[in-house]
Amino acid sequence: MKTVVKTICPPPPAERRRRHFETPTARAPQDEVARRTTLSLGVLAPLLAIASPAHAADRLAPAGDAPVMHEEAQAAGLNSVYDGPWEFFVGGGGAALDCDGSGFPSVFLAGGKNPAKLYVNVSKAGGPIRFVEKPIGVDPKLLVNVIGAYPIDVDGDGRMDLFVLRVGQNLMLKGGPDCTFALAGKDWNFDGDPGWTTSFAAEWEQGAKFPTLAIGHYVDRDAPGSPWGTCQDNSLFRPQPGERPDYSVRTPLAPGFCALSMLFTDWNKSGVPSLRVSNDRQYYRGGEEQLWRVEPGKTPRPYTRADGWRHLSIFGMGVAEGDVDGSGYPQYFLTSMGDEKLQKLDPDEAGRGELPVYRDIAGEVGATAHIPYTGGDKRPSTAWHAEFADFTNDGLLDIFVSKGNLSQMPDFAAYDPSNLLIGQWSGKFAEAGDLAGIAGNRVGRGALIADFNLDGKLDILQIDRGSNVALFRNLGARNGDGLPLPSGNWSEIRLIEPNPNRNAVGAKISVKTGTRTQTRTLQVGGGDASGHAGWVHVGLGTAERAEIRVQWPDGERSPTYRVFANQFVVVDRTKPQASYWYPGR
Amino acid sequence: MLRNLGALAAAAFVVAGGAAYGGSWDERVFPPGAHVDFDAVAAAGPSALPALIDRGRVLFKAKFTTVDGAGRPKATQAIVPTRRKAGVNPPFTRTSGPDSNSCFGCHNDPVEGGSGDDVANAFVSEGFESAQFDTVDPSFSSERHTIALMGAGLVELLAREMTADLQAIRAAAVKEACQSGKAVRADLVSKGVRFGWIEAHPDGIVDLDSVDGVDADLIVRPFSRKGVFTSLRQFTINALNVHHGMEAVERFGARWTGTHDFAESGVPDAITAGDVSALVAFQATLPPPAVKTGLPGDWRAAAAEGEKQFDAIGCPSCHVKTLPLKSLVFTDPAPYDMAGTLRSGEVEAPIVIDLSVLPFAKTLQKNDQGAWLIPLMSDLKRHLVVDEQVNALGNELQAQRFVERDVFLTPRLWGVGSTAPYGHIGAFRMLDEIIAAHGGDARFSRDQYLALDPDKRDAVVAFLRALAIEAPR
Repeated sequence: MKTVVKTICPPPPAERRRRHFETPTARAPQDEVARRTTLSLGVLAPLLAIASPAHAADRLAPAGDAPVMHEEAQAAGLNSVYDGPWEFFVGGGGAALDCDGSGFPSVFLAGGKNPAKLYVNVSKAGGPIRFVEKPIGVDPKLLVNVIGAYPIDVDGDGRMDLFVLRVGQNLMLKGGPDCTFALAGKDWNFDGDPGWTTSFAAEWEQGAKFPTLAIGHYVDRDAPGSPWGTCQDNSLFRPQPGERPDYSVRTPLAPGFCALSMLFTDWNKSGVPSLRVSNDRQYYRGGEEQLWRVEPGKTPRPYTRADGWRHLSIFGMGVAEGDVDGSGYPQYFLTSMGDEKLQKLDPDEAGRGELPVYRDIAGEVGATAHIPYTGGDKRPSTAWHAEFADFTNDGLLDIFVSKGNLSQMPDFAAYDPSNLLIGQWSGKFAEAGDLAGIAGNRVGRGALIADFNLDGKLDILQIDRGSNVALFRNLGARNGDGLPLPSGNWSEIRLIEPNPNRNAVGAKISVKTGTRTQTRTLQVGGGDASGHAGWVHVGLGTAERAEIRVQWPDGERSPTYRVFANQFVVVDRTKPQASYWYPGR
Repeated sequence: MLRNLGALAAAAFVVAGGAAYGGSWDERVFPPGAHVDFDAVAAAGPSALPALIDRGRVLFKAKFTTVDGAGRPKATQAIVPTRRKAGVNPPFTRTSGPDSNSCFGCHNDPVEGGSGDDVANAFVSEGFESAQFDTVDPSFSSERHTIALMGAGLVELLAREMTADLQAIRAAAVKEACQSGKAVRADLVSKGVRFGWIEAHPDGIVDLDSVDGVDADLIVRPFSRKGVFTSLRQFTINALNVHHGMEAVERFGARWTGTHDFAESGVPDAITAGDVSALVAFQATLPPPAVKTGLPGDWRAAAAEGEKQFDAIGCPSCHVKTLPLKSLVFTDPAPYDMAGTLRSGEVEAPIVIDLSVLPFAKTLQKNDQGAWLIPLMSDLKRHLVVDEQVNALGNELQAQRFVERDVFLTPRLWGVGSTAPYGHIGAFRMLDEIIAAHGGDARFSRDQYLALDPDKRDAVVAFLRALAIEAPR
């Protein structure tokens, strides 16, 4: 079954001529054209000046590429500030989604006390990133107090919907044509699960027509003694039987420990995801990080010590999943304040996923990110969004971590640059945030990592507290003082399956090049109140060909699809072969 | 490209240890300062080309030594940098390689850059699961007869132009489908060669099920028996690793492996971008084969008759006699190579070689549109050459880089008179035998050939035997 969408075609020739930066011609590789048409040494000069810090003696330098990330939010037309009082010290997220069928990710950005905004992506493939703000057709009062958002096609109509996290009632916005949205809570029997919502995750349980929603709350401000020890319970909404989404029944996930991030994850490859919840120890009493068993038809229950779960108490702010070591078992990066974790199943105690026993390997592999790596401030960092992604297209997962002081907290670093930990062939990570150009004096929160101009390279949109968002366009590999070099090969993949789970949330994509297999899992949730849907990016290094296999959400495995590098690949479960997709502009 | 060559040479010297080097008897191919600096050559322009080509010839015939970095003790022959799981490769292994001390070791018949006898066959495998094997059983690898490289620059230029044509057709179809809101079917035709068709949908999806004889990314890959290498540069890098264990920086260097000595040969960065360019320049400027001159009268007459028969029985439907080429300007790097083979965005300026100023260009004819007519006698397209009755060429058990086992690129017949034995493994001693082995897409012409009178069959052989590789005069 093919997604029925309206495609945004190229502008007429006259308009195209007026623009400076053209889409690459069919003959010229995108990297080359983008590089030559959009850059000059003048543009790069300030960026390169930043990227010459005195490296700490114990700091591992990237042996391979570091990306050049050029900040161009203003030029791209983005003007959105996340701000507000205490309730908005946390959150600061957004959603990236293809809302107009163009294949380009548009963005919905939370504003806290400021209204949330929708920016439609009008970029051309390989060119500068451009957005145009589009009014959101709902009551403006509902667009304030927004913490973050996640894209998800709840009703399976082929258009992305939005789950909007708020202080107050949450919103479900049903996507319409041309990036229009309408309130759907009433139609879908969703009462908004009021509270101070700071996290969200979703999955399709086996046999379910619509997704199961997990909603994470923070402090119950009305509880006696608030805020200390007054974390609100979290919620699970399972769809009720029927032909349209019905979220009239709430199942509490108690106790809640101030959940700032949650993610459905198949941690033991059982095919039944569990709910990982990262909690902020600042306000809970007797709390810890959580893993919930969520089995179809059963009441969720947390893993306990008896199940092998080990107590861990951090300022949990964001959780990200990635299969860094190719084991098939996900590793988790947990953001915190000064004690970030990179967890993997303990080979001695976890067996083959029998017990959820994890070991922190952040120190071993150089991914602690606990203090600023540049700027001289040695107080602990405050980390928020985390995400595994390959920014250099070398075939190794990197880790992006957004950083930013809570709000002038004196015990924590004031100048706290976000991290770009570049995966190395040695299995370690090398910090390259400053080399890449993302180490500015910002107060980061959520982030959207997506290929906004469909040039095969991942860009970063970081939502900052108190100032405009930052949009870092990935220009390629750093090349000393010269122009960036083209990055490695890549593949961007989109899955389609028949309803109900049209976008195959929960599917695992395996991409094999040579003896290596990389895995990506399609998830809704995690990070800091931020999520993206659309193309799944995989760096291929020097591989010219790759073999793709999909384990669909119901566990069935696809045949092997043979694909060439540097293509957008559409895998439709109903078709024997993968197709390629090309941008219309 | 911006490396310190002096430092590299010193490093090689130090790493090797043991013996002292530097006398006039020095065995090394790369004594200090001998690596080619790509940027310097590119900046120098045409004046640097003769020396570059000469250096390429030297490297083509060079016998790489241990202190040059030859051998790949800890790496396999795979085109993607791949470590051995265990153990160490011996210096030479006839099957999984390294299997040759020099390019010339195989490409030597009848001149440097030419074909080779059966003894020079290689055994190619992906180099992943079957990285090391000690049998020539086709379960493990595919045997390959040496392809002559004469005229390779022209071949690559043809492929580049065909790729541009096909990708432009695709882009136009995508645009039209997008604007019209309807599916658009587009025939993939370049230089008169049909590569099937695509269907572009309004949502940007392109159905590729009916693409024929070319890869799904619509890149015409003109090199190797299967047509799986895009450029001379890519072929050269692969071959240096597979056959000699010489690893090019642009594929096996720190950018893609995190180390300067991926194979643990003891020599960092063994082959520079400039070294590869020298080899590319040498191969790209090799003159194309030509029709023999000075033939005795009976051969001339038979060849003329044979050409008529060749045409009449439909051989040129695949062995297209000439393909038109718009430009003889060869740029290195090539436009369609991917990461791991130097790309245009990775250099300040390309090396530009104008093949039209070379002596062989005078032998090329032009059509009425001013395009050069390249008499390669191939459509640069892959075909099925096996059917149920005629399957002598279907002796492989493995697909090669997504190309099914019984599908091959149409061999270029220019020079076929000098490149016996024939077929992808050189299993046929006579032209009559290889023609009779054509099945699949070539079955009709093959049957027509076999139905000819013996004299006419022999005339076809006379025609083909006159297509020869000769030493430059």
